[in-house]
Amino acid sequence: MAARSLRGHLLRMLLPPIAALLAVGVVVAYYPSIEPATEAYDQALVDIGVALGSQVRSTPTDYQFDMPPTVEQLLRTNRSDPIYYRVISPGGREIAGDPELPAPQTDAMAYDAVYKGQKLRVVSVLAPCGKSTCSVLVGETTIKRNRLAREVLLSSLFPEMLIAAATLVIVWFGVKRGLWPLARLSEEIKARSPRDLRPIDAAAAPEETRPLVSALNGLLDEVAQAAHKQQRFLANAAHQLRTPLAGLQAHTELALSQPLPESCRAQLEHVHEATVRTARLANQLLALARAEPGGRGSATEIDLKTVVEAEADGWVHQALARELDLGFELDPAPVRGDGLLLREALANLVHNAIEYSRRGGRVTVRTGRRGGQSFTEVEDEGPGIPPQERERVLERFYRVPGTVGTGSGLGLAIVREIAAGHGARIDIGDAGAGEASRGCRVALTFPHG
Amino acid sequence: MRLLIVEDDASLASGLRRILEAEGYAVDVTSRGEDAVLAAAQERFDLVILDIGLPRMDGFEVLRRLRAAEKPMPVLVLTARDAVEDRVRGLDLGADDYMVKPFAMPELTARVRALLRRSQAHGGPRVLHGPLVLDTIARRAFLRGDPLELAAREWAVLEVLLAKTEKIVSKESIIQAVAGWGDDLSPNAIEVYVSRLRSKLEPAGIKIRTVRGFGYMLEEFRGA
Repeated sequence: MAARSLRGHLLRMLLPPIAALLAVGVVVAYYPSIEPATEAYDQALVDIGVALGSQVRSTPTDYQFDMPPTVEQLLRTNRSDPIYYRVISPGGREIAGDPELPAPQTDAMAYDAVYKGQKLRVVSVLAPCGKSTCSVLVGETTIKRNRLAREVLLSSLFPEMLIAAATLVIVWFGVKRGLWPLARLSEEIKARSPRDLRPIDAAAAPEETRPLVSALNGLLDEVAQAAHKQQRFLANAAHQLRTPLAGLQAHTELALSQPLPESCRAQLEHVHEATVRTARLANQLLALARAEPGGRGSATEIDLKTVVEAEADGWVHQALARELDLGFELDPAPVRGDGLLLREALANLVHNAIEYSRRGGRVTVRTGRRGGQSFTEVEDEGPGIPPQERERVLERFYRVPGTVGTGSGLGLAIVREIAAGHGARIDIGDAGAGEASRGCRVALTFPHG
Repeated sequence: MRLLIVEDDASLASGLRRILEAEGYAVDVTSRGEDAVLAAAQERFDLVILDIGLPRMDGFEVLRRLRAAEKPMPVLVLTARDAVEDRVRGLDLGADDYMVKPFAMPELTARVRALLRRSQAHGGPRVLHGPLVLDTIARRAFLRGDPLELAAREWAVLEVLLAKTEKIVSKESIIQAVAGWGDDLSPNAIEVYVSRLRSKLEPAGIKIRTVRGFGYMLEEFRGA
C-alpha cells in the first residue's frame, strides 16, 4: 500500500458516516415538524367542509344546497391553492360542487388525490341532512403544503450541513494539531548527532507516542550494543595486530643494524618499509573505525591547545627526523569532544604536513579562536592540494594523482570522519596569501560553544 | 645496567632483547607478570620494560605490585591499546613512560637511555651530559673538566632542560620551574638565558634546539 496522508485517510473514513448521519438527521427532523402543519391545513379544510355541510337543507323529496355569500367569499379569497368541493346526498346523488372530485377509497378522513392533472389534498366531512347524513368533500391543491415542506426541509438541512462542514474542517486541522507531538519527536530525532545513541526520553513524550519511542529506543540500544561490540573487537584486533608488527619491526631494524651483503640489505629495507607502512595502515584503519558513529567515547570539555601540547614532543621528533622546522602558535581553543579522536585528527594533519614537506621546510600548528569559534590548523610548505582535488582528498583511499610517498589515502578521511562527529568544518586552502603562496593549510573549525 | 623485559610475544621479546643487548645492557626476559614481580623482588633491575596485555596478571597489576613493594626503578610501559584511559591509568600507577606498539627501535632505545639517565641523575649529586658535569650539591658546573661560570637563573634553566633531555620543554614550564615567588619572569627573559647557555655550551657540542612557538629541547649529546 502506498504511503498516504493520515489526514486524507481519516477524512475518507469519516465522510460516509457523516453523510449517513446527515440524511438520518434530515428525516428525523422533517416528519415531526411537517406533521402538525399538515394537520392544521387539513383542519382548515374540515372547517370549510363543516361550513359547507351546514348549508345543506333537506326537503321531503330532495336536498338543497345554497352557497351562502360568506362561504363563497371564503372559498374565493383563498390565497394560493384553489379549493374544490363536492356535496353528495346519502343516496349518492350529486347535490353541488364538482362531481369529478375523487371520492375517498378508504375510510380515511383526509387523503391525497389527483384532479384535473393536479395533486389535491381532500378531506371528507359528514354533514347532517335531515335524518341521514350527506358527505362533503373539500380539496385544495398542494402548493402551500409543498412550499412548507421545502421550508421545513431547508431549515433543518442547513444547520446539519454546517455541522458536517465544521466537522470536516475540525478534522483537517485537528489531525495536524493532534500530530504535533509526533512532529516534535521527529524534530528531536532529526536534531540528533548520528553518534548520539542515548535513548529518547520516553517520559517527555506524549502517551500515544510511547510505543513508537520505546521501539526507537530498542533499536538505538541494539545499535549502541553493536557499536560497543565493534569497539571491543577493535581493541582486541589492535592488540593482535600491533604486537606481531612490533616484533617484525624490531627484527628488521635489528637485522639492518648488522653488517649485511648489499643485495640482502636492499631487500631487508623493503621489508622494513613495508612493515612500517602496514603498521601505520593498521593504526589508521583502527582509527577510522573508532571515529565512526557509535564509536565515540564520552565527549568532554577539552582545549585543543592542551591536546597539541601533549603530542608536540612526538611530532617534533618526527619533524626533526626529516629535518623540518615544526613550530607552534597556540592560543586556548576550548571545544567539546573526544580527546583521543581529536588527537588522532591532529596527528594525521601533522603527519601529512611532515610527509609532504621538502627538507628544511616549515610546518606550523595553530590553535585558537576566530570569530567566536575554536579552530586548529596545520600549515606546510609542501606542494599543496590543487583546488579541484580538495573535495576528493577527503575520500577514503583517494590520493592526488602523481603524489609521491607511501601514504594510504586514509589520513584525511579519518580527519573528515572525526570532524563530522564533532560538527567541525574542514577547510583546505593555500598556505599564506598572494600569488607566491605555496603549500597547504588544513583548518578545522568547531561549532560555537 | 640491567634491564627486565616483560613481554608475552616471543618474537617481539627476543627482538627487544637483542637490540638492547647490542646497546650494551644486560637483559632478562619473562613472559609472565607473576614471574616479573618475583624477579624484581629478588634481584635488582635498573629499568623494566612492561607490556600491558599479558595473560593472567596484566601489566597494570605488575606495575601496581612493583610500586607497592617500593621498587624505585623506572618502568617503560608498552601497549597495543591506545585508549587515553590506559595511558592515564599507567601513568597514575607510576609508569615513567609509555609507548604504543608498534614503535621504531631507535625511539625505544632513546627513551630507555633517557629514563636511565634521569633515574641515575635523580637524587644523585652529579648530573652528566656529555662533557658537562653538574655538581648539584656544591652548585658548581664543569665543562670538559674546566669550571663553568653559570648565573643562578642560567643554572636553573639548564637543570630543567637536563631533566628532560631529548624532550621538548615549553617556555611556560621553564618559567614555572625557574621563577621564585613574586618573580615576574617574561618569555623574553628565558630567551636571554637560553642564548647565554648556548654561547657557553655549544663550543663543547651541546645543542639546545628552539621549538618555534613552544620552547626548547636539549639534544642528546652526540659528540662534539
